[in-house]
Parts: sequence; C-alpha cells; structure tokens
Amino acid sequence: MPIQAIPMTLTQTLVMGLLQIVVVLIAVFIMVPLLTFAERKVIGYIQVRLGATRLAGGHVGITGPMNRIMWSMGKVPMLSIVRGLPIFIADALKLITKEDIIPAKADRGVFTLAPIISVMAAFGVFAAVAYYPGVMFYLPKGFPIVGGLPFQGFITDVNVGLLFILGLASVGVYGIVLGAWASNSKYPLLGGLRSAAQIVSYEVPLTLSLLVPVLLAGSLNFKEMSILLATGKGLHPLAIIPLFIGFFVYLTCGFAETNRVPFDLPEAETELVAGFHTEYSGMKFGFFYLAEYANMIVVSALATAFFLGGHYLLPFGLQRFIPETVPFLGQPSFIFFLGKVCFILFVFLWVRATLPRYRYDQLMDVAWKYLLPLTLVNLFIAALIRFAF
Amino acid sequence: MEHQLETIGRNMFAIFGVMALCGAAFMVASKSAVHSVLGFLFAMLCVAGCFLSLDAEFLGMAQILVYAGGIVVLFLFVVMLVELSKFKEKGVFQLQTRSAVIAVIVGGVAFLAAFRNLLFGTASPEALVLRPELAQGLAVAQQNAQAVSRGLFSDFLLPFEILSVILLVALVGAVVLAKTERV
Repeated sequence: MPIQAIPMTLTQTLVMGLLQIVVVLIAVFIMVPLLTFAERKVIGYIQVRLGATRLAGGHVGITGPMNRIMWSMGKVPMLSIVRGLPIFIADALKLITKEDIIPAKADRGVFTLAPIISVMAAFGVFAAVAYYPGVMFYLPKGFPIVGGLPFQGFITDVNVGLLFILGLASVGVYGIVLGAWASNSKYPLLGGLRSAAQIVSYEVPLTLSLLVPVLLAGSLNFKEMSILLATGKGLHPLAIIPLFIGFFVYLTCGFAETNRVPFDLPEAETELVAGFHTEYSGMKFGFFYLAEYANMIVVSALATAFFLGGHYLLPFGLQRFIPETVPFLGQPSFIFFLGKVCFILFVFLWVRATLPRYRYDQLMDVAWKYLLPLTLVNLFIAALIRFAF
Repeated sequence: MEHQLETIGRNMFAIFGVMALCGAAFMVASKSAVHSVLGFLFAMLCVAGCFLSLDAEFLGMAQILVYAGGIVVLFLFVVMLVELSKFKEKGVFQLQTRSAVIAVIVGGVAFLAAFRNLLFGTASPEALVLRPELAQGLAVAQQNAQAVSRGLFSDFLLPFEILSVILLVALVGAVVLAKTERV
C-alpha cells in the first residue's frame, strides 16, 4: 500500500499529529480499564469462580428486575460478564477521588516526579508504534484545517523507531526507582532496588531478541520492519526458526520489563507489602498502574508487529503462502493487529493466573544464564540465515 | 515548510543546549546525591535532544539508550545503596573552592582562545572529514544509522575493535581492584 505524499503545511502537520495523539491516548485510556476488568474476569474463570459480578448484579437498579427473575429461577444471571463491567468505572472513580498522601519524610519533588516519569515514558513509546503501516482512512472534506487528508496508522515515522521505543522504555525504570527512593521507607526502597536490577538485567536479552527482526528486515524503522516481517517477502523460509525462538524470549523479557507475574518481584506482596508503590495513594498510584498497563499494551504491540505478523493474518512471515488476491485473509487489516494484541494481553493474564512468582536468584539466573546465551545463539542463527543462504 | 523546519531545528538546538547546561548546573549545585543524578539524567536527555535537532537521530537515540537507560540507572543504583545523607549538611563547594574557580576560569579562557575562530568565525563550506577518500561511502548511506554503522564496522573497524578491547581492559581492571580490596 503506497502512501501518497500529499504536501501538508506546518499547521496541518501539527494538527494532524495532535489528532493522532489524541486518538491513540483515548484508545489507551479505554483499553487500560477494560484490561483491568478483563484481568478480574479471566483470572476468575481460570480459578473456577465468577470474578467481578456484583456491581450491577444487585436486586435494585436498572438490571434489578432481570436479576431478581434469574435468581428466583435458581440461576446465576447469565450476563455476568456485562454485569461486572461497571466495576472499571468504579475503579477509576476510586483512584481519582482518593486522598493523595505524601509521607512527611518523603522527598516531595522526586515523589511527585516519579509517577510522571513512569507515565510519560509509557505513553511516549506509542509515538513510534505503527498500528497499521499505511493510511487507515481519509478524513472527511468538511473537517477543519486537515479535511481530506489521510489518517495514518502511526503517529510518527521515525527512522530509528525501534531505538526510540527501547530508549524511552528504559527511561521508564526511573519512575519506579525514584519513587521507591523518594518514599523514604524500607519496603519501597527494597522494591526499587530489585526493580532496577531486574529491569536492567532483562533489558539485555530483550534488546538482543529484538535484534533478530532488525537483522532479518535490515531496518530500524517500525513501519518498514512490520511490513517486511509480516509479508515475508525477501525472507528466507528458514527465518521462521529465529523468529519463533525470539518471540518467546521477547515475551518472557516483556513480562519482566512490565513487572508482571511471574517476575513481579518489585511489588511482591508477601515480602514487600506493595513494593515500590507502598507509600503511594490516589492518582499518583493510579499513574503507576496506568503506566504498567500501557507498557503491557506496548509489549503486546511490539510482539505483534515484529513476530506475529502485525496487520496480516499469519505470524512469523508465513503470510507469503496466502496470495494477496484472497479477500480479507490475504489483505492487511487493522483487525488482525488488534486481535493479536488482545491475544497477547490475554496471555499476560493467563500466565498471571497460572504461574507462581520466581525467587530472586532464580530470576537473575533466568536472565543471565539461560536467556542471554539463548538470544546470542538465536542471533547467530538469524545472521547465518540472512547472509549464508 | 522545509525552511520553517530548519529554523525550528536551529532554535530547538539552542533550547536543548541551554536546558542541558541548566541540568548540569543543577547536578553540581544540588546537595542530595539523588538530585544530582536526576540533574545528570536531564542533561543527558537534553544532549540527546541536541543530537535530534541536528538530524542525528541514531546518535540521539543511542545517547538515550546508553546514558539514560544504562549508565545513569547504575549511578542511581549505587547512590541509593550508599547512604550519603551524612554529608548532606556540609557545604556543597567545601573542597578546594578557590583553586577550582581559578582552574575553571583559566580553562575557559584557554578554550575560548583556542576555538575562537571555530565558534565565531564563518563556517567552512564543506564538512571536515578524517579520510576524504571514504566520504563517498558515507554520502551514499541514506540514513544516519547506515552512515554510523558503515563508519564503525567497515571503514574504521580496527580502531573500533581496539577501543572495545581498551574498555574490556578497564572492566577487567575494575574487577581485579574490587577483588583485592575485599580479601
């Protein structure tokens, strides 16, 4: 899909960028609460219980009569998924209206700065992510200033987009470490130190595993990489091997980078109360929460674009076996991208409901003794396939 | 639009430069070690911004990745481990203030004298290239990631490898020093 280079004035470029940023932000702000809701439900069903059902499931209110009938028939109301849904609004309201406490001995400036850094790093990454490498639709002619211009599936087309993403993601660790230090309290400090060591360690195999798609695609541009890796044009058929291994290594490191179970040692409740955000409350805590879930979405988007075939149907460059003439299945579509992102987000929840937490020494062993050699070997295989065959 | 962008880029460079200097000043002047690290981080990010405004996006991102993502995190790690609050109450510039000021003034004057022409003179029409016969290859590269990698991995491979060996020597030396201290 060639992108028409329509000349735009500076104002138009800026307005268009702003528009895209707003759209992406709104999408993230919708996805994050839905994700928290999905987390309750998925974990609930995996652990053979219903999860959040009660909020709209009372005997009063709009759905009250229906619920009363269902209960009187001796049945659990069948719309339990929908009935738990308002809980995410309650969650958000709770976070916003809660009292914002700053401990007396805390370093006020840094204490406030920490969640800001976390959120900025997590959201800034979206600037270089391409959801759909091309024009998604054209704005209607009547739109002020930017009418008739193409709305592209990415905010910016950075030459070194992958480096931008990795760089900003690595800045995100400051939020956790500084927040932990500024709390001036034992448990957060321990959580922060663990987190710094963990994230710095796992960044090494993470970056190395992302080098495999970079090497195979021969580019650092997010858009170019996702197109080439998805269509599989110019890729050797054997390239599926390093991509397959790389995907699992990347996903493992992604779990560690986002502090999710089984790598959630920075906030291990049993040992550290709540880890680095023990002293945080209200929306400051909400920002950490938001950053964590936004990071999950970013990890999923990257895994989708680089390993799972992005906006095409089949992963690992297998798309080349479906000719482009096939309607829908052979065509690129944003729906495929969204579906794969949702699937990986589901895997996040699935793993959380299934696996226990690692011990700290095991965590470090996994990174340095297993993942790092594995990624190096994988990189070697990728280089061999790219240049020897 | 091109012209506007050029002007914006030049102004951004100045803004980022001033911001980097402010970050560095904050780093020197602040009493808490963690605040110093924060100032350093800010300065490093602004230097990355300077690179970006000069169209050197690869260098800018490498700056963020290496300094902000790696080195400063380790600084912060060490500072958090080592309790420095004992030294908080003392003055900031308590050590050799006078000689430090003199050294800075002498250094600044010497720098200005040496680079007077470079700073205030007219710019040379062509970029200075270390080995002119290789400039052709760099000009062919379309992106500066390609240009940098070409410079590092083909034209100047041997110096690059020697540099990495020197870094390895420093690493081994650090390990040896730390070991002997512990025993």
